[in-house]
Amino acid sequence: MKFFSKIKYPLLKLIDVSGFKVFDPVIRLLYNEEPQKQVRDIVKYMVLPIIFCFICIWAWNFLGPRHKTKSGEVPTPIEVWNVANDNYRFSEREEEKKTAFSLDGDKRKEEILFVKSEIVKLEEKASFLQQESMRVTEEVKVETDAKLAPVNARKDALKAEIKQAKAEREAEAIAHAEKLMAGQVTPDSLVALIKKHKEAVDEEKAKSKLIGDELNEIRDNPPKRLKEAQLAANKMEDEVLHYKKRIDYLTKGNKEQKIAGLIEKSDTAIAALAAATTPAEAVKQAKAVVSSSEAAESTAEQKYPPAATIFYQTKRSVATVFVGFLIAAFVAIPIGIMCGLNRVVMACLTPIISIFRPVSPVVWLLIFQIVIGAFFPDPETHPLFMFMNSPSNPLAFLRTDPAMIFSACTVAMCALWPALVNTALGVSAIDKDHLNVAKVLRLGFWSRLFKIIIPSSLPLMFAGLRISLGVGWMVLIAAEALSTSDGLGKFVWDEFQNGSSASFANIILACFVVGIIGFVLDRLMIILQRLVSFDDGSAVA
Amino acid sequence: MSEKINSRFVEMSHLVKEYPNPYGDDFRVIEDFNLMMKEGEFVSVIGHSGCGKSTVLTMLAGLNEISDGGIIVNGREIDGPGPDRSVVFQAPCLMPWMTAYGNVMLGVKNVYPHVNKATRKQIVEHSLSVCGLADSMKKYPREMSGGMQQRVGIARAIALQPKVLLLDEPFGRLDSLTRMELQDVIIDILDKEKLTAMIVTHDVDEAVFMADRCVMMSNGPKAGVGEILEIDFPRPRNRMEVFEDPKFFECREHLLAFLEQRSHIKGPTRIYSGGETQGFMNESELEAFELKTGGLTI
Repeated sequence: MKFFSKIKYPLLKLIDVSGFKVFDPVIRLLYNEEPQKQVRDIVKYMVLPIIFCFICIWAWNFLGPRHKTKSGEVPTPIEVWNVANDNYRFSEREEEKKTAFSLDGDKRKEEILFVKSEIVKLEEKASFLQQESMRVTEEVKVETDAKLAPVNARKDALKAEIKQAKAEREAEAIAHAEKLMAGQVTPDSLVALIKKHKEAVDEEKAKSKLIGDELNEIRDNPPKRLKEAQLAANKMEDEVLHYKKRIDYLTKGNKEQKIAGLIEKSDTAIAALAAATTPAEAVKQAKAVVSSSEAAESTAEQKYPPAATIFYQTKRSVATVFVGFLIAAFVAIPIGIMCGLNRVVMACLTPIISIFRPVSPVVWLLIFQIVIGAFFPDPETHPLFMFMNSPSNPLAFLRTDPAMIFSACTVAMCALWPALVNTALGVSAIDKDHLNVAKVLRLGFWSRLFKIIIPSSLPLMFAGLRISLGVGWMVLIAAEALSTSDGLGKFVWDEFQNGSSASFANIILACFVVGIIGFVLDRLMIILQRLVSFDDGSAVA
Repeated sequence: MSEKINSRFVEMSHLVKEYPNPYGDDFRVIEDFNLMMKEGEFVSVIGHSGCGKSTVLTMLAGLNEISDGGIIVNGREIDGPGPDRSVVFQAPCLMPWMTAYGNVMLGVKNVYPHVNKATRKQIVEHSLSVCGLADSMKKYPREMSGGMQQRVGIARAIALQPKVLLLDEPFGRLDSLTRMELQDVIIDILDKEKLTAMIVTHDVDEAVFMADRCVMMSNGPKAGVGEILEIDFPRPRNRMEVFEDPKFFECREHLLAFLEQRSHIKGPTRIYSGGETQGFMNESELEAFELKTGGLTI
């Protein structure tokens, strides 16, 4: 109990520093401090915002399906949620295949048995769902036919009517023309008659189009349960396929199995070599020994080829943005300090800053692809990528490639400016009194810089870095989409390009992922910023 | 004290401070400011606001450029700030990211680069405890009251072991109780360390109570030393005794009378002591003045 009351203020401070001040009343309520006021605050600042969020989600759910686009309806929140689950399942499957690939010994055998038993169960389910789906299809077909029948009848009736009307009109026209020949009517009246007939034809066409539309409407909008049943069946089918794939990876695709096979091959070749009778035969067997043992070695080094799951894309995006952000910080902070210290430097850099700051990230990306691309004529053998992607490197999972470097440089270029300008501002806005103190204390340039100037400009510097990280994250998604560097940007782009039924929902899912990660990054920077700012009492020693 | 006291320890002569004025002649804040300080003397400077009191002090500190004339400290003309003259500013001006100890150490490290760590630590701790901060060395400025922060400012100034201590309205932002405490701190330090000191202040009581001489500045622009009042209460001074002394009120009245009635008069500096005019600071100037006005009337 004593501990409980002891952590009250540190806890409140922690949530304040981390920028979650909304939870302040909750904590205070737990400690029974002015409960009425806290409840009021909770209602005002937590419950109402949550209700508002629900209203927004409801509006989305309501309006989404009512907006028809070329790529289908706007997905509802539930569809996006399902797609998120699918993405999660996809990454789970990749993990399962990966373990299957590297399992060996008894564990592998156990796994095979387990997976096989699962397949039996799943196939049962799959066939059930398949039948169900077929049943629904039949049902729906009957229903649709029932709906179509009256419309079709009307259509036939209309057709007959039109045919009859056409014949009548033709007869009338001929009769009129005969009268014209006989000089009983004027040519103008015939033209007028033909015109009238033409109008009648247009009217008929419009009528038949209306009926056609009605038919299409019925055909194109089968009841939802059909789609659902098909989807469920497909999903189960997919799952069965995945388990079969797992068996593959446990048996002939398994790493140890492959190696064992190759070693066996080389052993038989060695035996054959010993038993060889002709020189040609001996050479052939020796070659076989070399090739199979080499293949065994390379297989031993092999890893399961990682797939582009949304988790991988996210990790890579975060890594790229941090690389870019660090480059930006390393360039911007020293230059910013120089600008703040010396007005000549500031004057020299002002035109460069003013001109390059508004340049679009897309332009930078293209420029970097050309300029930096020249450093990696052959990325496969470049030492940087060899180092980053060597199996022993813990960052190998990122699969660094030139496109990633280009994206990171684009991020750096765009994130540079806020940090630079803010650092310069922080340094030049240093308290005059502090500089006077430095003069009186006879501080040299370096101790003035490190003891006075940099510490006092840290809060503004970090404010700039926070903006930089935000800008960098925004720029990155566009840069990845354009440079096809693996990441959330590419995920969105690929989804846009491949246009499957889940694409639209996937794009919206990516939108949320990007937003949430951006939010987390911003929070991190806020915490850092508050740790270095000394005025609000949250500075640490 | 066996050594002979240097009566011209600080010498400010014909001091001028001009600020450039793009639309006319340069703006002269200070003109022909003359003052001599004995070693170990405590001089207070008083005057209306804006008359240039702080300008004089910052020029002496070396923070403000001297437009004309010169300042000699201990036989050497000053050129910029130096560790022989340390300043206590009006605002404490502490680095908020450093503890009290760190703030004092900052200067000590730079002024005594060759002294070993233990000695430096000793200097810092000594000066902090002299200022009554022995228990608050590890505190950050934000954890201290204004008075305590100013104590750190004083400790920082004396830790440099200067020859001259310059106090630029050091108590201007403090409440009167704290102000009195800090006045006593300063007086104790000066009595112990025998420092030469100058205090710029608005407060008449403070100017009289603390100093050996009070310099009254005439109004700016072109401000100079109007009058100098010798104050000869014995040291160490006791607040109660001084405040009850009728001489204290005479001095106080004198200062107030100057500020209210005579501060606009430009002319030679008149020196008073014990209520009587002792003479003028510069004989040649007096002659010139008498020639011009045909006699001195106050």
